[in-house]
Amino acid sequence: MIGFWERNVPVFDVPVRTRALYVLTGLFLLAFGLVTYRELAGLGPVSGMNDAYAWGIWKTFNVMTLTGLGSGAFSVGMTAYLFGRWRLHSVMRTACLTSLLAYISGMTLLAVDVGRPWNMYLVLMPWKWNYHSPLLEVAVCMPLYAMFPLFLENIPPVLEWLHEARPSARPIVEKATAIMAKFYPLVVGLAYILPAMHQSSLGALMLLAGDRVHPLWQTPFLPLLYVWAAAFMGFSCVAGTLLFCTLMWKRPMDLDVLREMGRITCYIIIAWLVFRFSDILFSGKLGLTFQFNQYAVLFWIEMVILTLAAITLWDSAKLKNARMMFHAHLIAAIGGMMYRFDPTTLAFNPKSGAIYFPTAMEILVALGFVSFAIAVFMIAAKKLAIIPAPLSYWYDYENEVLAKAPEPQLSRPGEALATAQD
Amino acid sequence: MKFTRREALKSLGGGAAAVAATGLVSISAVGQESAEVKTAPKHAVGLLYDATRCIGCQSCVAACNEANNLEGDLRADRIHHSAQDLTSFSKNIIKLYRPADGSGYSFVKQQCMHCIDPACVAGCSFKALTKNPESGVVGWTSSKCIGCRYCEIACPYHIPKFQWEGWNPKIVKCELCKERLAVGKEPACSSVCPAKAVIFGTREQLLAEAKQRIRQNPGKYYQDRAFGETDGGGTQALYLSHVPFDKLGLPNLGNESVPEKYLKWQNRIYSYLAVPVVTYATMVAVIRKNWHDHQHHEKEEQERTGLRPQL
Repeated sequence: MIGFWERNVPVFDVPVRTRALYVLTGLFLLAFGLVTYRELAGLGPVSGMNDAYAWGIWKTFNVMTLTGLGSGAFSVGMTAYLFGRWRLHSVMRTACLTSLLAYISGMTLLAVDVGRPWNMYLVLMPWKWNYHSPLLEVAVCMPLYAMFPLFLENIPPVLEWLHEARPSARPIVEKATAIMAKFYPLVVGLAYILPAMHQSSLGALMLLAGDRVHPLWQTPFLPLLYVWAAAFMGFSCVAGTLLFCTLMWKRPMDLDVLREMGRITCYIIIAWLVFRFSDILFSGKLGLTFQFNQYAVLFWIEMVILTLAAITLWDSAKLKNARMMFHAHLIAAIGGMMYRFDPTTLAFNPKSGAIYFPTAMEILVALGFVSFAIAVFMIAAKKLAIIPAPLSYWYDYENEVLAKAPEPQLSRPGEALATAQD
Repeated sequence: MKFTRREALKSLGGGAAAVAATGLVSISAVGQESAEVKTAPKHAVGLLYDATRCIGCQSCVAACNEANNLEGDLRADRIHHSAQDLTSFSKNIIKLYRPADGSGYSFVKQQCMHCIDPACVAGCSFKALTKNPESGVVGWTSSKCIGCRYCEIACPYHIPKFQWEGWNPKIVKCELCKERLAVGKEPACSSVCPAKAVIFGTREQLLAEAKQRIRQNPGKYYQDRAFGETDGGGTQALYLSHVPFDKLGLPNLGNESVPEKYLKWQNRIYSYLAVPVVTYATMVAVIRKNWHDHQHHEKEEQERTGLRPQL
């Protein structure tokens, strides 16, 4: 189905309690039980981590990799607000919600992963910080971002729900909306500078690991490449989520917006690939890529996957093929995830002969926390106005029926001229 | 509202201005004078280990375990096993290097190197690992450690170890018997060494002693130098050896310390938070202008559809 995304609307005609939701909740409850066991028994009995590979998938996958996917509010938002791509406003709520959930899920698991969580109150005491530590930057900046600007960015759908479903709350809602609108540029600015800082610091974390990280990944530009990867991963996550949701819940798809997102993702990936390859070329590491070992193979897999993603994104935007576009975003996300995961685990060599492979319990906990994020998204998208749709889908909260709305337009309202010029 | 190509270019220019401002400030920050290279504290103490003297008796291992209330790795069957590697059950171990071609073997003692600019201290978020400003001993404070294990990722010598069992894990590493130093004793390991292979002293004394041994025995020691004088920015545990240092597990780090080498840029970009603050201010200026246009557009939409604007 094709239609212009004009407003964010709840997915009202799909039941909330689905089998998928029960499965996801079950997985989360299982993870919660395992976490209780971990808190009592310690990390050793639960995970495959050891002194050589001191960081396991809870940090390297759930935090380092998945917050990259959760960078949609950062990268899509920056394109919309800073670079003035106003069409992308229609997908901002999806971006903000996926980001918030990815961050909450990752940070909660981080608190499970650290050995002495009761000392984490120190994050509130700036005079006890080590200002030179990249980990401190992450530990302070990530919660600050999730609890302040990113949280505020997710308030409008809730206010709107209050406005529509609880008419008595309307005066308060109007006031809160006015205040938010006044300070929104300040909040939004923070919502871009903070992720830029901690997403790059995630890369800086691996700098201090020195020669444990294979030279093909260990570069002074690691922080830049990490935040850059977060930019296209964020786009792919938001576009992929929207494509999946519109297909699953049978919502109209706005191919103009999706094609624009696909093209922007493609540009970011190509620029990233060129930069990464030039860095390797000019630092004289090209020879390493032609050695016959797992690192060279891993490097080429990353490069090929992302090149394939860029080509597929471009073609799908050209052919207006939504299914192909979904696959392209999926490939791009996998490529980005691989790049952010590899320096921490697969291209991480502590030269001790020790190996790391996550235990079943470790994997179940990691999956459980991801399930939590997906489950909350599924509920929120059905209750709040998150997913974009044409005006004809406008929903009457009070009477729980489709409200009367203008007929769907044949050309994008107010943009007829701009489209004609394209 | 019409959204024309001209406007698109204009707002794109705004974003580009923000990026350019960031770039300029970053470049000027990176171009700063290099941070001064850290030197050893005035009263730095340490160990000098001479691999040519060590007989591998492991007296130091037993003395270390006793002084630090460690019982060794008894996990398997309560029979004490000689440790293969440093673990949370031992802060000091002796290893044997025996080359395949049958040439000269060597023992090597492993414990914290007490770096002059330690990577573990640089990475530690809440200063649980600190370098004593007087003695230079790198120590750990349980009440400040969140158990993130970044020290294990960062240490170029693979020294800090984590207790993987139990709800209240600790970081285990040699702290140069700081309790014994406080009461005027020397570290347990050096106090019992029958061959005087490991000796305790101030870093200056130890360096002088090492240089004297090298002078008196030309050609005996690898590269005629002590490992740790300048390696990785310098350490307070010094090594003399007749086999190449890297065979004994002492990595070739160059003269720069790990934090100096890898975090130089990061520290400059974040110095006084100048780059983030300028970037934020520039972005807000651009966003504010775009936001004004956006609200105007929203108002037009509201008039057209009669529905509340969505933020």
